[in-house]
This record gives sequence, structure tokens and C-alpha cells, in this order.
Amino acid sequence: MIRVLCLAAVLVLALAAPAAAHTVTAGTDLRIAQTIAGAEVTVVVKGTTRVPGPLRIGVIAYQPVSGLPIGLEVRSVEDGRTVTGTAQAAANPQYTQLQVERTGPHELKLSAGNETAVIPFRVLVERDSAGAFLIYGGLFVAAVLLVGGLLTGATARPGRAMALAAGAAAGVTVAAMVIVFESQVPAPPPDGAAPAPAPTTSTAEGRPYVQARMETVPAQPEAGEEFTLRVDLVDGSTGRPVDDLTAHHEALAHVVVTSEDGRYFRHVHPLRTAPGHLEVRLSAGRPGRYLAHAELERENSGGQLVAADFTVGGPAKASAESGTVTESGKTGAPATQAGTTVTPRLQPAVPIAGRPTTIDLDTPAGVRTWLGMTGHLLIRGQDGRFFGHVHEMGAPGSRVRFTFSFPEPGRYLAWVQYATADRIVTVPFTVNVTAPEAK
Amino acid sequence: MIKRWHAVAAAALVIAAVALYVVSRSTAAEPVNLTTTGSRYTATVLIADPAPGQVTVEIKVSKGDADTVALSAVMAEMGHSTPEISATMREPGRFVAVGELFPMSGVWELSIRLDGPAGEEQLAVKTLITE
Ligand SMILES: [Cu+2]
Repeated sequence: MIRVLCLAAVLVLALAAPAAAHTVTAGTDLRIAQTIAGAEVTVVVKGTTRVPGPLRIGVIAYQPVSGLPIGLEVRSVEDGRTVTGTAQAAANPQYTQLQVERTGPHELKLSAGNETAVIPFRVLVERDSAGAFLIYGGLFVAAVLLVGGLLTGATARPGRAMALAAGAAAGVTVAAMVIVFESQVPAPPPDGAAPAPAPTTSTAEGRPYVQARMETVPAQPEAGEEFTLRVDLVDGSTGRPVDDLTAHHEALAHVVVTSEDGRYFRHVHPLRTAPGHLEVRLSAGRPGRYLAHAELERENSGGQLVAADFTVGGPAKASAESGTVTESGKTGAPATQAGTTVTPRLQPAVPIAGRPTTIDLDTPAGVRTWLGMTGHLLIRGQDGRFFGHVHEMGAPGSRVRFTFSFPEPGRYLAWVQYATADRIVTVPFTVNVTAPEAK
Repeated sequence: MIKRWHAVAAAALVIAAVALYVVSRSTAAEPVNLTTTGSRYTATVLIADPAPGQVTVEIKVSKGDADTVALSAVMAEMGHSTPEISATMREPGRFVAVGELFPMSGVWELSIRLDGPAGEEQLAVKTLITE
């Protein structure tokens, strides 16, 4: 009996619906990286087990911030009820508790400085499984009837004992049937879940492509002046704004902006300002041509890469960054480990096009997961026509290791990024890839 | 002997009822009743008989004085969209639209474009349409 109950418990756990994108349910947090007020942060929304219930929101900072308050506003898209609060971004943030009254679609509005982001998400609460009710109900009835049957049998009333035993058998059969067949029947979705077809009827995989336009405001930024990089997303089949981006590696979009020579490097996470519109503020100290690469992923689809370029005008500003100085406090800015020069080790030392190359980099103690991974390797072809993003999947240790097959011979610019307790470290380097020997 | 037979029959009935319940749970097409609130309007969408093809959609506007309501639908999964259909005002705050909003079964996003003295606003609800 205990074994059966354990099995039932395991099945009930296994039947819990998988968490979809942008949903918060107890035990499944929503994590979204944002570049806001010049800071690189990850907003964490922890789920609730009930409604009305508490929704806990924290903002993790990945660089030194002294008292960066982030305004929070959670709004139910159904009834419009809004609750507000404030979170302080910190390496180990305090969580602000906001009360949600219902499940279903909500919006989280973040504001800091004069920037605002609106993140759509769903509050889900696990429903009691009807299957679990039947399993436990059936077993309970069986147990009661079996005891009844034994007692009745002991008092020598075979007819009634038989009826009770049959009832017990029915109870056990119901429980067993549900245990066996429930796995083939879709579990009820959590309360507040987005409508979805039954898994068996969903044959379509992958949504239409995103038609993306990236542009700066103003169209030609001045060196040293703040500008906005806008990403406008339109569905290639309907012409409507694309508003179904998943939190892919903990961000709606990962945008890497580099100067043509690679000395300027920013890895940022734009804010959703309206359906199909993302924005991030940047500034660049030197005039010249800049390249922007954006990675994003629609719901139930694969990842997509969008590329654009823009020109920064005007004379260079004194604060012009070089690729190897420490620029703490600036978003995604490159930095070296204090007082050390770290060079990645390549194997083979001269990579061959089309063959796997491993890249190792020693890391200090205290590396922490950023964007769901221990380390990130961003690769750009010299001319900007190739862009790659590789992950170190292992747990933080004394090094990060990446494997990548450079597609063609030539010169590549590369940056390894990882997060320590108080900053994001960026290590730039270049790779010269040779052609495989002709046979 | 007869009693034993009764017990078996009762058990079989219980099992059949449970099987029916488990199967029917996933197939029932329920009426759509969804509410969405924007900055200007609150709209409730009622579809008594949601199915692919011709449907009658009732829109109740409980916040904001809408004088025009128009509906269109998008199936994001496949990239389908349907023409906009105008809803007719039956009484203040109650609009009805009839048309082919959902050409096939799947998850549809129903866009509700409302206009009135407060200005225009586009709201949306998502619903699963099955045969
Ligand atoms: Cu990123």
C-alpha cells in the first residue's frame, strides 16, 4: 500500500504541467535580465502557491550599484488592479512582496531613472489534480471497505462481506486505473495558464520569422552622447508587432554592440517599452561604424539573430573606452581582473576552420551564474558578418571552457564574459583561423 | 450468487463512470468568457459557441464609453490573421459581432479595438478554439 501511494505521489508530481515562458508559479521563478539606468540587473519574480497571495520580486545587480531603486508595478491585465512597490538592486537583493489577487495575465512595470520597461507574464497556481483525488479517494474507499469487509467477515455475514470486498476491489481498481492511464491523459493546466492545444494535436513547430529593424535615436549619435538603440519586431506573416518573445537565456533579447575594430563592446538587455518594441540606452566615445547583433527567440520557436550597423559621428571624447581598461559601473563594459592579464588558451593553438577548437580561461574564485550560465563566449567575424554565442555549461570553478568550430578561415574578435560577486568581467581576444590543409 | 453478481456489476459501473469522466475532461469545448483591462477600457469577450467558422461574439465594455468596437484575430503559431469585423452596438456598453474570426482550430489572439471620447485602445485576449 505504501508503495502504491509513493507511486501515486511520483505520478502526481510528474504530471505537473511544464512551466512555459513568462510564467511564474510556485518553484518556478521568472528571471529577466535588463539594462536599466545604466546598470545590468536581473529581475526575479518568485511564484505564489495561492491567490490572493504574495508575489516576491527582487532585482539582482551584477555590478556595484549604490542604492539603485527600481519602481515596481504589477497590474492584472484582466481586471486592471495594480499594486506598486520598490526594489533595491543589490548583489543579494531583498525581495519586495506584492499581493496578487488573481491568476492569469499580468504586467510588471519597472522604472528606474527615466526609463521604463513593461514585462508581460502569467501568474499560475497549480490546481488540485482530479487524478490525485481519484487515486487517493479510491484507495481510501478501498481501505475503509476492506476493514469493513474483514469485520463483517469476522461476524460471519459472508454476503455483506463479499459486497464490501467487491467495493474495496472497485476502489483499488479505480486508483490503479487512474495511476496507469492518467499519464496518457493531459494534466489539467495550472490556474491562470495561457490557452494551449492538447499536446497531441499540436503539430506546428516554430512560428513565422521576425522582421526586425534596429536603429538608433538619433539616427546618427554623437560620440560621448547617450543614444537609444531601438529594436522593432514585426511578424513576417501577419505584419503585427511580435510580442511573444521568450525569456531566452534569461532575457527577451541579448544585444551585443561592437565597434568595427572591436575595441568597444557592450552586451546589453533591452527593455520592452511596448508590444514589439525594445529599447536600450548606450553611449560610445569614439566616432565610426558600429555593429549591433540581437539574439531573440519567439515562443515555441528557435532562436533568431538580427544584425544592423550604425555610425557614431563627431570628434572622439576623452572618455573613449579601450577594450582592456576596467570600466566598472558602465553596462557590459570590458574589464580585466585587477592587476592581471589573463589570456585564453586555445587548443589547437591555431584553430582550423570547421574543426572544434576549445578555449580555456582561468577565472578567479567566486564566479556566479549570469544569464543562466557560468560563462559566455561571444564571437564576431572581423567584418561583422558572422556572430556566435557559446556557453560554458558547467558549474562555476577555476576556469571556463568553450568548444566552438570557427566556420571559415580568417580573423575573429572574441570576448569571454563571466560574473563575479560584484562585476561582469569581459576578456577580449582575437583568433586567427586557418584553412584545413588541402588534400 | 446473485449478490456477488451485483457487486461485480456495481464495480464495473464505477469503473465505467470514472473512465468516462477522465476522457470527457479533456474534450469539452466551453464558452469563452474573458475580461481584459487597458488604460482606457475594460472589455469582456463572450462567445457562447466557440468553434472554427462563423461565430457570434459579444463584447461588454464595463469601463470607458466606447462607441466603436472592432474585432480581428491572429493565430501566432501559424502566422494567420483575419480581417477586422465591426461590432454593432446593441445598447450602451454592449456590442455584438458576427463573422468568421477563427478559420481553423488552435490558439487565437482576439484583438479588440475600442474607440470613444477617451481615445482609441487595442486590447487582446487569448483563447483556444477547437472543433
Ligand atoms: Cu545577454
